[in-house]
Amino acid sequence: MNPDSENFDSLRQLLALKRHEVPPPGYFDRLSRDVMARIKAGEKGGQVGAEFSWFQRMLSMFDVKPVFAGAFGTAVCAFLISGVLSSDQTPVLGDATPHVGGSPLVSAPVPEANSSVEQLMASTTNSGGSGSLFDQFSLQTRPVSYLPNNN
Amino acid sequence: MREAAMIMTEPIPGKPGDALKRPPVGEQAEPVPVEESELVTRARKGDLKAYDQLVQRYQERIYATIYHMTSNHEDANDLAQEAFIKGFQALKSFKGGSSFYTWVYRIAVNKTINFLKQRKNRAQMSLNDLDFNAEHDPDLVALISDKTPRREAALTELQEKLNEGLQKLSEPHRLVVTLHDVQGLSHEEIAKIMGCNIGTVRSRLFYARQQLQGFLADYLK
Repeated sequence: MNPDSENFDSLRQLLALKRHEVPPPGYFDRLSRDVMARIKAGEKGGQVGAEFSWFQRMLSMFDVKPVFAGAFGTAVCAFLISGVLSSDQTPVLGDATPHVGGSPLVSAPVPEANSSVEQLMASTTNSGGSGSLFDQFSLQTRPVSYLPNNN
Repeated sequence: MREAAMIMTEPIPGKPGDALKRPPVGEQAEPVPVEESELVTRARKGDLKAYDQLVQRYQERIYATIYHMTSNHEDANDLAQEAFIKGFQALKSFKGGSSFYTWVYRIAVNKTINFLKQRKNRAQMSLNDLDFNAEHDPDLVALISDKTPRREAALTELQEKLNEGLQKLSEPHRLVVTLHDVQGLSHEEIAKIMGCNIGTVRSRLFYARQQLQGFLADYLK
């Protein structure tokens, strides 16, 4: 398929009309002047030149080579997917220990199936139990009255 | 006036007033004009005068390409300015693997395509005037002479229809037609600018011409 060998002569003649479309006189003098003025204004604002941030440089690279944008997007997606997958593998309470060959690597104390709610509560309060996390703080509970004090 | 009319399609000048010699797009083996590489080196060091010369050298072609893609002078003006500003900002990442011309052209083309994707359904044409030579171009006269004696009005109508037809093409197809049939770039140069192979350029050009021929059938002999 060679487009030049096909009969598109009339169309090409018509397309020649586009070459006769010209901007207003003096436009190109203004264009370069405007570009340079904007670059200078940007430099004064610290947005271009030496202070040009790595992020802006990266964005400008995307403009030059859009494939970088695709690669960057793919990398971000891969990172997100791997994050989601690894979060799915987070150990669930009650079965926190990894098993090898069916036996737990570390045996964690697990409440017996028939233990009552009271027993569990008692094990987590400071009622003399030795395993409480709050023992060192000597936490105590006192009744509080919200009535106005007559003293 | 003839020179003014052809200014968008002539090769790039080495320096103002010189014989025109366009550097080959993206060629590493071909010698790049020394002056351009010098200007680029100076511009990379922050020499704004050097960059100004580069802008003046390529602004007409860059503007023309964007204008033909958008069919809107104001949009083309904004995008051309942004492309050159972006070019200056990203100059440090320019490795010299291609000519500066190809590199800045790519920036302009990508910016334009991104802009057109965002603009999508709110395209509004703001066409430049035709120069005096259009009325005397034998090819164009042949297309309109048997339709109306009022050449100017017929040319303006033809210009609008042509731009409407171009806007109906997809961006890659419009770009290929613009670069090849309007700007006069070779298939190889277009392939380097668009980052595709020559076969793709050829097939896109063929398809785009077929589409355009269908849109403009009433105006073609």
